[in-house]
Amino acid sequence: MKEQLSALMDGEFNTSNADHLLIVAKSDGELRRAWNAYHMIGDVMRGEHAFHCDMTSRIMDAIDNEPTVLAPAAAQATEAKLKQSLFKKTAFWSVAASVTAVMFVGLMLLQQQKSEQNLLSPVEIAENLPSEYLTAHQTYAPNGAAYYIQNVSYTEQR
Amino acid sequence: MFRWMLACAFIGASLNVQALDDPWLALQKTAFAARELNYQGVFVYQNGNQARSVQITHMNNAGRELTRNVVLDGQPREVFSEGSDIVIFNAKNNKVVIEKRRGQNLFPAMLPTNLDVLKNSYTAKLGMVERIAGRDAQIIDLVPNDGYRYFIKVWSDVEFGLLVKMSLMDRQGQVLEQIGFTQLSMLNTHDLNWFQPKIDLTKQYVMEEETTVNHVTTNWVVANLPPGYRKIDHIEHIVPGKSTVVNQVIFSDGIASVSMFIEPIKKGDRPKMGHKVLGSTNICANVVEGYQVIVVGEVPAQTVQQIAKAVSFSKQTQTTANK
Repeated sequence: MKEQLSALMDGEFNTSNADHLLIVAKSDGELRRAWNAYHMIGDVMRGEHAFHCDMTSRIMDAIDNEPTVLAPAAAQATEAKLKQSLFKKTAFWSVAASVTAVMFVGLMLLQQQKSEQNLLSPVEIAENLPSEYLTAHQTYAPNGAAYYIQNVSYTEQR
Repeated sequence: MFRWMLACAFIGASLNVQALDDPWLALQKTAFAARELNYQGVFVYQNGNQARSVQITHMNNAGRELTRNVVLDGQPREVFSEGSDIVIFNAKNNKVVIEKRRGQNLFPAMLPTNLDVLKNSYTAKLGMVERIAGRDAQIIDLVPNDGYRYFIKVWSDVEFGLLVKMSLMDRQGQVLEQIGFTQLSMLNTHDLNWFQPKIDLTKQYVMEEETTVNHVTTNWVVANLPPGYRKIDHIEHIVPGKSTVVNQVIFSDGIASVSMFIEPIKKGDRPKMGHKVLGSTNICANVVEGYQVIVVGEVPAQTVQQIAKAVSFSKQTQTTANK
């Protein structure tokens, strides 16, 4: 099997060997390690860098490259929405009389905390959030529909 | 004896009527049909201004579920699944990157097999019969009980119970996301020749270099989760050579899911705050206790906003399982 892998790496394989790709991709143990090792050796010999799928650096790069739009109006809107939603919650919780008192205090504290945060943090709205978050969401969340267009938004840019 | 047979026939008939009348039973049949039947077809997925055609072959081979999805538009991409193992062949420039994933509810198996979790958040209603991909399909509406989730419309094949189409709609009835067959046929064969990727000899096949993913329990607490949502997973993305760990907490109401990303804000980073919509997907960024919080989900804006604002942190992190 390792020999076949080696042949695969060197491009000496035909389509009837396609099953190996699946087997390799699905295996976890020895074979998988062998695949990685062969691949790395092949890359080094060809003077290529190993392919990196480095999510954090991509996110960070993307963040660095994003234009930052200063929009205090939008921030105020966010704050207004926050207050509105907290009011709704307050109304909702008041139905449950036994927990009202406790929740009310909790909500007051929460509201206080949030407004402090809004004052402290710089008011910067990210209009173009990096698509890596979307990709990671689609990859690990159990919802499968978006899977088919995953990374469409940035494959064209690469 | 005759009376007994009559009784049996009566019970059978009443069960049958019940199956037609009860939308939850119809949904249950739909949830199982996608996993049990053998079929082949083409479906189109639309979200916002993006659309993709996908060719699907699905077979249940003695309890072993095998699927091959070939994305027909844009970058070549093939998604294979066997049970909950998923292998993706993703063409990127001169390479094909092989990615491994686990457990997704891929179309048309969009409904959870345990529907009880949905019953508190949605009301099911039977609608009309419509023709989809040349087949008669019963409409079943999942009407949200509050504003924290979208309206879901399901089209279920009258004959086989297979989910042939599904739409997500907002409160105004505008379709945000849609997935449905344009062509569908049942398979009678047990031949598995189709379960292999199309190999492009000019491309180099490489395994995706995986970032370490740990399943963890931490004390990132969302004080006031929207009703019906619960935490279903929490993972850490650890990238070799980087100090930053990105946490991803996943919430679901049984069908809609939301991811919350948390990462420390480093010196010089500009924290992000705000909101964005992409089709059915809402994204909300917030800053909490020096951490960047980004919430993403195929849910209404108020759901991601509430989660992004109600998160708080108490120190002590426990890693329970390594992958």
